[in-house]
Amino acid sequence: MPTQPLILVRDLSKHFRTFKRRPGIWGGIQNLFVRDYKTVQAVDRVTFDVAQGEMVGYIGPNGAGKSTTIKMLTGILVPSSGEVRVGGFVPWRERTNYVRTIGVVFGQRTQLWWDIAVIESFHLLRKMYGVVQRDFDERMALFGEILGLREYLHTPVRKLSLGERMRCDLAAALLHNPPLLFLDEPTIGLDVVARDHIRKFLLAVNERFRTTVLLTTHDLDDIEALCRRIIIIDRGRLLYDGPLELLKQRLLRTKQVKFVMRDAAARARLQALPIDGLQMQTVDELTCRVRFDRTRVDTSDLVRQVLSRVEVRDLVIEDESIEDVVKRIYAGEALREVSLQ
Amino acid sequence: MRRHLQLLASYFANYAKARVEYRGDFLIGLATSVVATLFAFGFLLVLFTNISQLRGWSLEQALFLYGFGLIPFGVFNIFSPNIYEFGNNYIIEGKFDRVLLRPVSSLYQVLFEAFRIESLHEVATGILAVWWAARRMGYVWTAPDVALLALYGICGGVIYISFFMMLSCVSFWFEDRIGIHPPVWNLIAFGRYPLSIYSQWIQFVLSWLVPFAFASFYPSAHLLGRRELHDLAPLAPVVAAACLGLLLLAWNRGLRQYSSTGS
Repeated sequence: MPTQPLILVRDLSKHFRTFKRRPGIWGGIQNLFVRDYKTVQAVDRVTFDVAQGEMVGYIGPNGAGKSTTIKMLTGILVPSSGEVRVGGFVPWRERTNYVRTIGVVFGQRTQLWWDIAVIESFHLLRKMYGVVQRDFDERMALFGEILGLREYLHTPVRKLSLGERMRCDLAAALLHNPPLLFLDEPTIGLDVVARDHIRKFLLAVNERFRTTVLLTTHDLDDIEALCRRIIIIDRGRLLYDGPLELLKQRLLRTKQVKFVMRDAAARARLQALPIDGLQMQTVDELTCRVRFDRTRVDTSDLVRQVLSRVEVRDLVIEDESIEDVVKRIYAGEALREVSLQ
Repeated sequence: MRRHLQLLASYFANYAKARVEYRGDFLIGLATSVVATLFAFGFLLVLFTNISQLRGWSLEQALFLYGFGLIPFGVFNIFSPNIYEFGNNYIIEGKFDRVLLRPVSSLYQVLFEAFRIESLHEVATGILAVWWAARRMGYVWTAPDVALLALYGICGGVIYISFFMMLSCVSFWFEDRIGIHPPVWNLIAFGRYPLSIYSQWIQFVLSWLVPFAFASFYPSAHLLGRRELHDLAPLAPVVAAACLGLLLLAWNRGLRQYSSTGS
């Protein structure tokens, strides 16, 4: 390894002790005295590195442990066991010094002060982080331009739309020019235009300042647009850590072709097609979806054969979406096909 | 230190600006607050039309006591919103994560992110009442007296703030939506009258368990030169430091609890 990774995570675990709440008033009284504790393993021996300048997608279903990991990496939570070093810091031990070197955006809630104008929030942050006026002005000009902040700098945060607020949050997280940016669901609830805006901004920041970005998201388009590398976790465990491309190549084996027939008889003929390894799925009276393994069946061959025998009005060739692949991985399937690193 | 003071000034300026924006709300808040203060003074006047002295305290002296007590009380009220709201706003709603992501002491941020600006009038009224009562008594102010008054006022404010914030720390361990502040808050009212009118048991509680007597009675008695109880006023800075120390202890333990559970 040429240089020390920026983020180093070794066997990181976090478990919470929670108790089952009994329902009702009587249950509430019982809760005061007797509690059935159970331990929830939110993050379970996770290990990974992130190098300076990388943009990594950290994905997993709800409750997989993404946010808990982010909270440990940002110093909010102390791990139950394992090691975290970020830029040489142990996040929770040297909190105030450490947080100067990171920016954090939680999509679900704003980091800004609700009642005051955006620009005032920025000024407060400037004082907190001790950013000198000249750097501040320079960055404001840049962010104002790329994110289009200028129009609502003087509006109180509570009056902003979600998309506007998110842009402001991003700018706020980058005011002190941190080398590392954590984003937890940065595009949640945003429309297509706003998403696109934010993705472009992140790419620009990454390119210009070599800012390292670790982001969690449910939106796989975010991942495709931003990250070459993804880490997938589920139930606290690391399932995959590697290039997005590799995952796609190895796992995107299923292809499907949707045929729309002229009549029902044609559909019956299609279903009787003598080719092995086809999965037929009837969508409606005239439409049929054919799924197959693209390593075993040649797509053009299939289409040629179908067209020569059946009267087809329309056809659509589709790849399996990454979302489906991830779903399959979550379901525990298909893992054997991917060697971890 | 300088950065922290600058930050406090900005917090205050921003908050004031935002608060005054809701003009009606602000004016109503201010009006209720003023009326409440006036009622308390009115009660004192009514009381003294029926009796001429309260355990040897004249009306002027009682006014002085009440006025002085208003100063630390007002200081406390100015910083009180987040003390009361800490559990709801920061722990349950999750704003505390944001606080932890900034390079400034978390306690500092919580205490100084919101203000009750109306309460400035309590400090002003308190000073006015002290000045007026002193004038009627022919009290001659020397520079050390004024300095002492300011010191006691600040110590009293620190005692109230530390004590109530300490109660708020309970939220680190329990989801406590109502808060345990109200019953303790009611004890502040005892400070409006001379401590010597109460039973020894209450005197003990207000001196050593919930040491609010150091924020009203002892300093006033000291400045007025009354010595019917032990003159404990010089201990006020010690008591304030002790309260602050206990608060920091409770806060740091709370932080540790928070960072292991996240809720």
